[in-house]
Amino acid sequence: MFKHLFKLIWNKKKQNFLLMSEMLFSFLVLFAVFTLLVYYYNNYKKPMGFEYKNVWVVNYNNAYKATNTDSLTQFYETLRQNLKALPDVKEISFCSDNVPFSQNTWQGSVNYKGNPVGGVNQYTVEDSYKNTMTAELLEGRWFNKGDVAAKNRPIIISSDLKEKLFGNERAVGKLVGDGDQPGHDKNAMKIIGVIQGVKAKGDYAPAGYAVYHRTDTGSFHSLGKIMVQVTPGATAAFEARLYKTLANYMKDSNVEIEHLTSKRKDINYFTLVPMIVLLIVGGFLVINVALGLFGVLWYNINKRRGEIGLRRAVGATGNSVSSQLITESMILATLSLILGTFFAIQFPLLNVFDLPASIYIVAIFCSIGFIYVLVFLCSLYPGKQAAAIYPAVALHEE
Amino acid sequence: MLKNYFKIAIAVLRRRKFFTFISLFGISFTLTILLVLTAFIDKVVGDSYPDRKRDRSLYVSRIQLSMKDGRSSGPASFYLFDHYGRSLKTPVKVGISSGFNGTNTYVNNKKIAVNYKYTNGDYWDIMEYDFTEGKAFTKQQIDNADKVAVISEDMKREYFGDVPSVVGKYIEADNVKYRVTGVVKSVPITSYMVYSDIYLPYTVAKTDFRKDKSYQGGFFGVFLANSSADVPKMHAEYEDMINRLPMPRKEVIKIYSHADPYIRSYVDAGDEQHSGITIAITAISIFALLVMLLPTLNLVNINITRIMERSSEIGVRKAFGASSGTLVYQFIVENIILTLLGGLIGVILSVVALQVLNGANLIPNLVLTLNFTVLGIGLLICFFFGLLSGVYPAWRMSKLNVVTALKAQ
Repeated sequence: MFKHLFKLIWNKKKQNFLLMSEMLFSFLVLFAVFTLLVYYYNNYKKPMGFEYKNVWVVNYNNAYKATNTDSLTQFYETLRQNLKALPDVKEISFCSDNVPFSQNTWQGSVNYKGNPVGGVNQYTVEDSYKNTMTAELLEGRWFNKGDVAAKNRPIIISSDLKEKLFGNERAVGKLVGDGDQPGHDKNAMKIIGVIQGVKAKGDYAPAGYAVYHRTDTGSFHSLGKIMVQVTPGATAAFEARLYKTLANYMKDSNVEIEHLTSKRKDINYFTLVPMIVLLIVGGFLVINVALGLFGVLWYNINKRRGEIGLRRAVGATGNSVSSQLITESMILATLSLILGTFFAIQFPLLNVFDLPASIYIVAIFCSIGFIYVLVFLCSLYPGKQAAAIYPAVALHEE
Repeated sequence: MLKNYFKIAIAVLRRRKFFTFISLFGISFTLTILLVLTAFIDKVVGDSYPDRKRDRSLYVSRIQLSMKDGRSSGPASFYLFDHYGRSLKTPVKVGISSGFNGTNTYVNNKKIAVNYKYTNGDYWDIMEYDFTEGKAFTKQQIDNADKVAVISEDMKREYFGDVPSVVGKYIEADNVKYRVTGVVKSVPITSYMVYSDIYLPYTVAKTDFRKDKSYQGGFFGVFLANSSADVPKMHAEYEDMINRLPMPRKEVIKIYSHADPYIRSYVDAGDEQHSGITIAITAISIFALLVMLLPTLNLVNINITRIMERSSEIGVRKAFGASSGTLVYQFIVENIILTLLGGLIGVILSVVALQVLNGANLIPNLVLTLNFTVLGIGLLICFFFGLLSGVYPAWRMSKLNVVTALKAQ
């Protein structure tokens, strides 16, 4: 049966070649769209890792031009007291510029037992950071005052980095190096805790690897942000008051207050808009291809009335005729899908774009399924029409 | 003759309405996508408000310091432009402006996010902002460090509400009161080198930019030559100046910075090895190719189907002595008529799509329009489409044997 169908396809190879190349390109386009969708969806369903509602970010710069570390610390500690005295402020934490949902990134590497990992986000935070951000501790503990005297610099790592370095082992208590060249580290760092990874670049981006460092006495020289957790009912009037407090205290600084909720909206927007454009374009291409397939199959069946009439005359049922036509187009689709999958499988094999292989595999299966459904639907109606051909009428025409 | 072909084409189009619909759908939607894309690119990089002197200007958006084990890249410092840039011979004016930064202001318990930008005096001589009222601050005001500001129309509406004139009034931003000297037509944020809500003299900044002697900072520079003929000379002079810069630290082995035409500096990717313009063009061409390839294949498919349907007509014409060339010519003309018809629908659809996009106001002040360049590109694409999807089917048709063609029916 299949051998016969192959022969039929081969006899019309010129026309089928064009159909097949059309299916092949649609498959490749669908593969690209699905890869992106699966990637975004995978990231989207992972937890955010912190509570962004009711958290504001204060941007400031070189507020106090003292080189003396003691007076600098004194300056910011007074600011901290002033801010915490405000009624709606629940918790504040000074931190490095790479706050969640901002464009700033600061990356470095770590190594464990001669195994370097690059692209690790480096955050400098205070003891109060965990409560300000409602971060979720999975293992160990958060920083506290006792860490000042620690022999090895204490760090907290994100769940993704823990998995990469240690797999299922416990991470707490292990020592890691702070560079990508094992043996050249200035000093080893000791992991004291693991937190759920924070999706710092929005809902659709991966949490990625992260190392949190505790602020030390000189840190105020380089910090530029204050995270402020406020009570849920904080109003714009309160924000104006907070702003005045900050601006009057830090006279030499530019001050800006942003809300994490709106920053999240902005950063998601940058992912969503290209995705929507891509979906519209992809959808249009699919409709286009579907209409084309439908038209060509329909025409082919009209041209093969004689052949179909003859089959009916020698005893084929309507169903077997329509299933023959549908199977024919499915075989065509299979041939182009085999070729398409060959190209698509190169992505996980060659590790292009550094995405997990599972995303590509899911995308390949989605696109294969999609093409099959599309071809099936497009050949359903022409097949049904062929089944309705009366042998006497069809044969009479010749 | 052409009139005849035209008649036949219309007759064929009306015969199989479903196929006509598929063809027109494919052509018009592809064209719409491409037209909207070109309108967007044209607006983002081709719009010359407010820098109308682009033909004799060069832009510096970035400086890169290369170390042995890495690089640091970003906008340049005020000092670089003010000290080194202004010492160049060819540029008649050097406009210096900071990138826009955010701050807040609070009016009647309402929060307004404000982007501000510091500029020097030359900036206002080079840029030709449309002032709806007032004028730019003067060099004298900059030297005196007067607290004055030029604001955008959007800012005026948001801060002052619907009032006729605001020149001379005070606007508070970043906890400082500035006197408004002028209001300019807003610029979309995509023109990142000239966009801002409030423009301020660089001398009123809370940090003194002149003291910072490093090369990297947050500033963009615009160099204006006397005529467009001087531009290459200015480019070379700037390159030369960069090459002669003393190294800031001993780790730095090379400094890169270029004074480039607007588009080049606009897409500067921040990497010396990979030019931004190559990346942008590659990405756009791959996208355009994919968008065009599928509908073209589809059209070829449909066209072949339609031609085979007309085999008897072709057989008769061949039997009466029409050469293959004539038939191919006829068919291509018919196909071009079809694509142009699709193109017409595509242009109408594009106008609708652009209206919808402008209505959605995705990027404030970015008003997309269908201009003549875009329309020309569209027509060219259509013509190309018609040829591409017509040649192969026509060639197949001309190969048809007279006897089989006549016998088929």
